[in-house]
Amino acid sequence: MIDVDHFTMKYYGPPAVDDISFSIPEGAIVGFLGPNGAGKTSTMRVLAGYLSPTEGEIRIAGHDVVRESIAARTAIGYLPENVALYPEMRVREYLAYRADLEGVRRSDRAARVSDVMERCLIADVAEKTAGTLSKGYKQRVALAGALVHRPPILILDEPTVGLDPKQIIKIRELIKELGRERTVLLSTHILPEVEAVCDQVLIIDRGKIVGQGTPDELRRRGSGASIVRAVFAGDVPARDVLSAIDGVRAIEETRTDGETRVRIEAAEGIDVREAVFRQAVENRWVMRELAGETATLEDVFVRLTTRDQGEAESAHA
Amino acid sequence: MRKFFAIARREWLSYFYSPLGYIVLAAFWFVNGFIFSTILGYLSQPGARSLQPLATIFNNTFFWIFMLFFIPVITMRLISEERKSGSIETLLTSPVTSATIVLGKFAAAFAFYAVLWLPVAAYALILNHFMTIDLRIVLSSLLAVLLLGAYFLAVGTFASSLSKNQIVAAILGFVMIIVIFSAGLVQTLVNDPAVKDAFSYLTIWDHMDDFARGVVDTRHIVYYVSSAALFLYLAQATLEAKKGQ
Repeated sequence: MIDVDHFTMKYYGPPAVDDISFSIPEGAIVGFLGPNGAGKTSTMRVLAGYLSPTEGEIRIAGHDVVRESIAARTAIGYLPENVALYPEMRVREYLAYRADLEGVRRSDRAARVSDVMERCLIADVAEKTAGTLSKGYKQRVALAGALVHRPPILILDEPTVGLDPKQIIKIRELIKELGRERTVLLSTHILPEVEAVCDQVLIIDRGKIVGQGTPDELRRRGSGASIVRAVFAGDVPARDVLSAIDGVRAIEETRTDGETRVRIEAAEGIDVREAVFRQAVENRWVMRELAGETATLEDVFVRLTTRDQGEAESAHA
Repeated sequence: MRKFFAIARREWLSYFYSPLGYIVLAAFWFVNGFIFSTILGYLSQPGARSLQPLATIFNNTFFWIFMLFFIPVITMRLISEERKSGSIETLLTSPVTSATIVLGKFAAAFAFYAVLWLPVAAYALILNHFMTIDLRIVLSSLLAVLLLGAYFLAVGTFASSLSKNQIVAAILGFVMIIVIFSAGLVQTLVNDPAVKDAFSYLTIWDHMDDFARGVVDTRHIVYYVSSAALFLYLAQATLEAKKGQ
């Protein structure tokens, strides 16, 4: 549904987005991750038809965003990063206006507006003017505006910013539900959000794509090692004994409050938990905790984006 | 067309959501009412000649002050406010061409401007009830007012596309209108007959005199309509060029 081919975006100085290509199939919910200034908003604005790409070809539902801009824009519902409503307009009125701009048939308009207000949990403020709403409500009014014409593709730039935890959960549910019949690309800083909502993840840093795949794939690929943590009662020579276990690469040991804590790093794909347990029994150590640690998306994200930063810096030097 | 009306309607309503629209209406209606009552006073004197009383409304200092100062105020908000608040992003990512956006906004400003002149039409009818006036002159004068208004409003729309700051947009519009208005003065300063001729074509108050005498010259109409179209085109081009800034 979204095809990006060798897309580059330049303003002044180094490119904000540097020759990226990716493709998003129909019906996928894709999380777009990256540190601030990585090029997320630039990319989303180009997809939405707000900016023209410096180079490259971008197709939305088969329509080129430059040559067939109107057709491409019709296929998209876009929630910009900075939500701006007309403060003097009532919510219902605003959504009717958005429906008109999107070319919704007049006979469908009232029903569509009521429907999106229901879905985005803003029916209670339908007759209020936008200027009096809280940030969370404004955000949802803008989201409703992006949905009112039932576009096959949604581009949401940080859809849950400014919402309270309860609203965040509701909006995530809504996005998931929308993703069943639509293609969704959403950017966010909130990593748990990606794991909760997205089927696919795209990590961008300094204008380059540095990671791509399902959240599970990225987690597995990202860690590069399997980690086990254990805690034993008393002072025990854990490092000396446990380093004999097959596959163990490194052990950190700390002794505090009459406990010995170890962090064991083993080669990728090797689970040393059972071996650690057996050693503890043999040596008659009292084990208080034993846990395998899976890499979180956060670890992966930090690793991918900082590694790239290091490379970029050494490249500049 | 639906999209055009949606934009024009929103813009039109926003004149009445802020005090600005009411201030402009009140000020303009007050001044025109005052001029009308002066005309009535003059007509009431015994032996007054009453050939074209209404032409005075379109050709007095107040009229020109209004055109120069108030038109940039009517148009200053059109594009600059959307760019400042960021709502332009939503507008430009909707399936609407930038030409439709500019025309819709201009249409709203023009409708507001036309409403300003409604009382004058009423004055003509009132006068017509008590005395014989030449309604053709009234119509040609109103036509002139609408054409000139369209021209200056288009200039103001262009000015509004240039800046995110409404005050800057208003000042730019004012300066551009002053320059256009003053272009006619050049004809008094040059001797070359060709140059003199060219600038006399641009002399707006001479055009207005013609209209006020009931002369509808198609050259004047072409001048106003084509100039308005030029400035609306410039506004549209600026809107496109400033995307994302």
